[in-house]
Amino acid sequence: MQLLAPTGFLAQTGFPVPMHSATLAHYLLVATLLFVIGLIGFLTRRNLIIMFLCTELMFQAAGIAMVAFGRYHLDFTGQTFVIFVLTVAAAEAAMGLALVVLLFRRKESLDAEAWQDLRG
Amino acid sequence: MCSDGVVEGGEAGRGGRGVPRGTRLGVRGGAPGPGQWGRLNTSPATTILCPHFGPPPAAACRPARDCGLDQVINPFLAYGLCVLGGAGVCLALPRRSMTPQIVGALVAALAGGLALLVMGLRNAAHLPNIYFYVFSVIALGAALRVITHPRPVYSALYFILTVIASAGLFLILSAEFMAFALIIVYAGAILITYLFVIMLATQAPEEGETEVLAEYDVQAREPIAACVVGFLLLAALTTMLFRGVSELPQPPAAQPDALLADMPRKVERVLRTNGLLKDGDKLITGRSGDLTSVGSDAGVITVEDSQGVVRTIPRSEWPEDLRVKNIEALGFTLLRGHPGAIEIAGVILLMAMLGAVVLSRKQVQLDEEAKLAQARQLRLFRETAAEGVTGRSMT
Amino acid sequence: MLTGILESLTAAALAAEPVRQGSGGGGAAQVGPWWAVLIPALPLLSFVLCGACAMLRVKGKLPAWITVAALAGSFAATVALYMDLFAGGHGAVVAITHSFDWINFRWGPGAGERFVADFAFYLDSLTVLWMLFVTGLGTLIALYASEYMAGDVGKGYARFFAAFSLFVFSMACLVMADNLLLLYLGWEGVGLCSYLLIGYFYTKPSAVAAAKKAFIVNRIGDLFLALGIMLTFVHFGSVEYAVVFERAAPYLALLEAGRPGDVPAIVQLIPLLLMVGAFGKSAQFPLYVWLPDAMEGPTPVSALIHAATMVTAGVFLICRTYGLFVLSEWALPTVAWIGTVTALLAATIGMAQFDIKRIMAYSTVSQLGYMFAGLGVLTSTGAAFHVVTHAFFKALLFLCCGAVMHGFAGQLDLRRLSGVARMPGWTIVGIGMLVGCLNLAGFPLTAGFFSKDMILAEAFTNPTNGFFWVGMILLLTAGLTAYYTFRVFFRVFVGPKHYEPGDEAHGAGDLDDGTHHDSDVAAADAAAAEEATAAEAALAAKGAAHEAGHDGHGQDGHGHDGHGHDGHGRDGRGDFHPHPPGWAINGVLAVLALCSLAASGLYFLGDHGGWVGGMIDRSSAAFASPFAHDANIGAGHAAVGAGSDGVGGIHAGDAHVAGTFFGFDPHAVMYYVSGVVGIAGIAVAYVLHLAGRTTAATSRADRLLPMLGPIARAAQRKWYVDEFYDFVVRRPLLVIAHLFHLVDQFLVDGLVNLAGWMPRGVGRLIRPSQSGELHGYAAGMAGGIAVLLIIVLLVAT
Repeated sequence: MQLLAPTGFLAQTGFPVPMHSATLAHYLLVATLLFVIGLIGFLTRRNLIIMFLCTELMFQAAGIAMVAFGRYHLDFTGQTFVIFVLTVAAAEAAMGLALVVLLFRRKESLDAEAWQDLRG
Repeated sequence: MCSDGVVEGGEAGRGGRGVPRGTRLGVRGGAPGPGQWGRLNTSPATTILCPHFGPPPAAACRPARDCGLDQVINPFLAYGLCVLGGAGVCLALPRRSMTPQIVGALVAALAGGLALLVMGLRNAAHLPNIYFYVFSVIALGAALRVITHPRPVYSALYFILTVIASAGLFLILSAEFMAFALIIVYAGAILITYLFVIMLATQAPEEGETEVLAEYDVQAREPIAACVVGFLLLAALTTMLFRGVSELPQPPAAQPDALLADMPRKVERVLRTNGLLKDGDKLITGRSGDLTSVGSDAGVITVEDSQGVVRTIPRSEWPEDLRVKNIEALGFTLLRGHPGAIEIAGVILLMAMLGAVVLSRKQVQLDEEAKLAQARQLRLFRETAAEGVTGRSMT
Repeated sequence: MLTGILESLTAAALAAEPVRQGSGGGGAAQVGPWWAVLIPALPLLSFVLCGACAMLRVKGKLPAWITVAALAGSFAATVALYMDLFAGGHGAVVAITHSFDWINFRWGPGAGERFVADFAFYLDSLTVLWMLFVTGLGTLIALYASEYMAGDVGKGYARFFAAFSLFVFSMACLVMADNLLLLYLGWEGVGLCSYLLIGYFYTKPSAVAAAKKAFIVNRIGDLFLALGIMLTFVHFGSVEYAVVFERAAPYLALLEAGRPGDVPAIVQLIPLLLMVGAFGKSAQFPLYVWLPDAMEGPTPVSALIHAATMVTAGVFLICRTYGLFVLSEWALPTVAWIGTVTALLAATIGMAQFDIKRIMAYSTVSQLGYMFAGLGVLTSTGAAFHVVTHAFFKALLFLCCGAVMHGFAGQLDLRRLSGVARMPGWTIVGIGMLVGCLNLAGFPLTAGFFSKDMILAEAFTNPTNGFFWVGMILLLTAGLTAYYTFRVFFRVFVGPKHYEPGDEAHGAGDLDDGTHHDSDVAAADAAAAEEATAAEAALAAKGAAHEAGHDGHGQDGHGHDGHGHDGHGRDGRGDFHPHPPGWAINGVLAVLALCSLAASGLYFLGDHGGWVGGMIDRSSAAFASPFAHDANIGAGHAAVGAGSDGVGGIHAGDAHVAGTFFGFDPHAVMYYVSGVVGIAGIAVAYVLHLAGRTTAATSRADRLLPMLGPIARAAQRKWYVDEFYDFVVRRPLLVIAHLFHLVDQFLVDGLVNLAGWMPRGVGRLIRPSQSGELHGYAAGMAGGIAVLLIIVLLVAT
């Protein structure tokens, strides 16, 4: 991918040149930020589908972190795991959305706060 | 904090720290270093959390500027930016009036930008690629928009943007296959499903209104608490990660070409294409058909030509194309290292499909309140419709 | 029968020659005869049987006969004991009869420490002396009560006699105890029975209040007594008399050597504590307030318990532990002065009361003061002798008042009764009253005269601690005693005949119902009624004539004969006859009167304070006064008592100079002085209350009242002591009780409620977390993870 590899002091060396840990820190920061944004979204939005979306965001963030670590350790396990995460995310999205549809049919509303029958 | 065997570190790239460190975060390294085994661990947290690991390493390295959190970012600044970012995000969350949202977005952006800036300044020698900044800004901005946009469809679309940005990040991280797989699967399949369901699950607009925005979409729920929790978690996570990052062992020099040993046909093809392998030449393979010589440090390819003369092609003469691509490496890792997981993943997908089909066929009764609401709506609808037809009220 | 016993007693006593000089026979304690157990056991049996009668609701007077029989048996046993142990003229004899182990345990290694308090009886002459008059009087008064309480047959009769028997049992335990703990048992027992018997008429609020008052005031004394007993055990290691006296001997040696200050402080403290206990039980200042109120009980109770036996328990205690009392520098002087003050105080109050039983009660308090004063001035003989004589004549006085009350339907006000002795059928009562009053007033040659004289003489003989003034005050009190005693006699028993029935007339109370009117009275009533209705006019004329015959003071005075009468009282109560006493009452009164007269003879038996002195000197109460070392001071004292054997008798150091009465030897002179004072008192009473008195309600004394003004009123109001106690003790206690109620309500209940509220509170705190909201749970999870991470960061790394 030489197209995307600029030269000069901002050069990013590709695989298999190892990455510096400070560089890794940048990627981890992005991943964490994304994760936290997803978490806040999950805690704040009441629309069930948006809540699912935020969990997908969190998956994303985890994926970024995994790939970054994989790149750092020059190990492909990181990417492999992201594949599986992707798989599970897809499966979960399917099931979850089916359930959301059922819930919507029951109450004609996507509000997560409409379902409080388990209150103590 | 649990050390699982330790590794000698302290080589190039670490700025000359000579103190051998234990590994962190359980990443497996090489042989245990001297003096690291057998130290008694008395800290209760480590006993609880790392029951079968060895002792944690000794006191934090000195000077603090060279390791720990300080190596990456000044802690006070980090926490300060967390607070600022938290406040910004909190303001930006959906609310009735627009102004605080814009202000909040700006503040959050400011915080994020400052963070990246500061980190960049401190680690000027090891900046990531410029495209990292591009993609990460897009990703974070889009993610922020995902959670702050009142309309669900837009949230999903912004999420697609986020996916694309993170695919870009994957690209920079030399995970090309993952990047595109992400776009295809995530943005192309999963998100489309989300969009369909959003459209399915929207309430029908009332007569006379062009759009309806559900109450629960307009107003965020307990934004302050959520932001506090979130940014607290952020502070904790970043502290932990940045502390740990500086103590990660230097990864060993990789031998990416080791995999070429398992791809004799590719090697042959590339060599032939590049003319290094004449007709009639043959690669010498090992007993199981792999090129054993390739995987060694020397990195030579042994060729036997038609006359039976054996010659080696050293690494320096290898053509550019003779590299293990990402997808090949990934494929090998996946299928050779985790075959069981693939099968299980397949089963999961099957289950999901079946489950979705089963669930969607289920007939669901309307909830009582919803029934009443619907009845009211229908009555109103009928009345207004009747009015409309007759043009006048019933009287 | 009883006089016969008394005669034999005196004969035996005359034959007894108390051996002084070291006959050595009494040093070690012998084993007493087993049948001494009968003395307390018979009243206990009677208690059980009377209780059974009460439960079986026996009608009839069976409980009374059971009690009388049991007490007579006890008396016989006591007499036999006397004969057995002391009549033969032995030395100081102490016999200990052990009936059964009560509290007996040891601890510590080896010999260790022991605590022994057995049901054992310490039979020395003091015990026998006391038991003689306790059981004797008990029998007589039980007989009296059998008739007196006859109105309650079937209702409370058995209960009365059960409590009565239990009282005698407790008194026996108290007196005969071998150890302080058994004494305390008896002490509490008599307190309990006093409470039960004062509150016998439990439907009367005043009686119930009086019972409570008695019990509570006694309790104050009991507390100090208990402390004294505990301290005794702490210091001497035992509560048994034998052991304690043995271990106190070294301290007595210190006294003999003339070093009283070397006795350790704790040993000096013990008698002070015991003394307060005695004050409570024997109604001394300031714990005397219960005794006058105790007159709410039936008269036999007043006679037995509050005149003769229970109130002397304090005197007995001091006599018994006299060996400890002399060890303390302050105890005996305090006793003397308190006794003196009490005597004077009670006498002044008694002078101003109108209820004759109250007057007698105050006189009891006053005479108890004399006894304590006697103990304090180191004449235990005088005190004991006074106890004995006082028991008889006070019982007699109370029983006479009781007879009056019984006959006049509860009337006790001396302004409403007059000339009772002159009414037919009341002669014996009158004579008994006269005998008793003469004894109480100290008329020369009566037993009371001799016993009082002993105390007065000793008070002047002992020059220490200002006892001269004790003597002067007691002399003044003797005069006052004579005055108020004869005030009662002259107002109630002689003079113009007049009576008004009391509150219990015509079935108004529980007592004195028509059942004890015997048949002729009933017939006579009927006859009189017929007569009366027929001859109304004649009656009116007669009534007018009667009135005209009296002085024109407008009183409802009228005279009449006993049974059938021809006149009505104009008080509107209808047909009331005074009811003269029957054979039981009269008989008992007669016996008591004779005994009182005969008791004076006791003074002359034996050579050292009479027969009583002889008994005392052989017991633990013996004391050889140091002031008797001067020769030629009467036959009263001997320098060396029977103390050489270490059981009885205490010496005190070297001879001191004895005091005098204005230069004369007190022993010789006191007879005359006290006799003169007594007669003077009687004369004053005559002048003020009998001479020229024509009505019941007024007398010459009334003209003196304006001159005395507030003093008389205060005396009549008992010097406001009760009001003072109410202010100082009762009100603060009420406030404290209310405070504690608040504490209980808010603090204790509050704590308990808090314990109940806490789970609910905690639940209320926690419940919102189970809101059913998905976001809440998610936020909790995320927050939890954050906190965990922070902890890990801070702690583990």
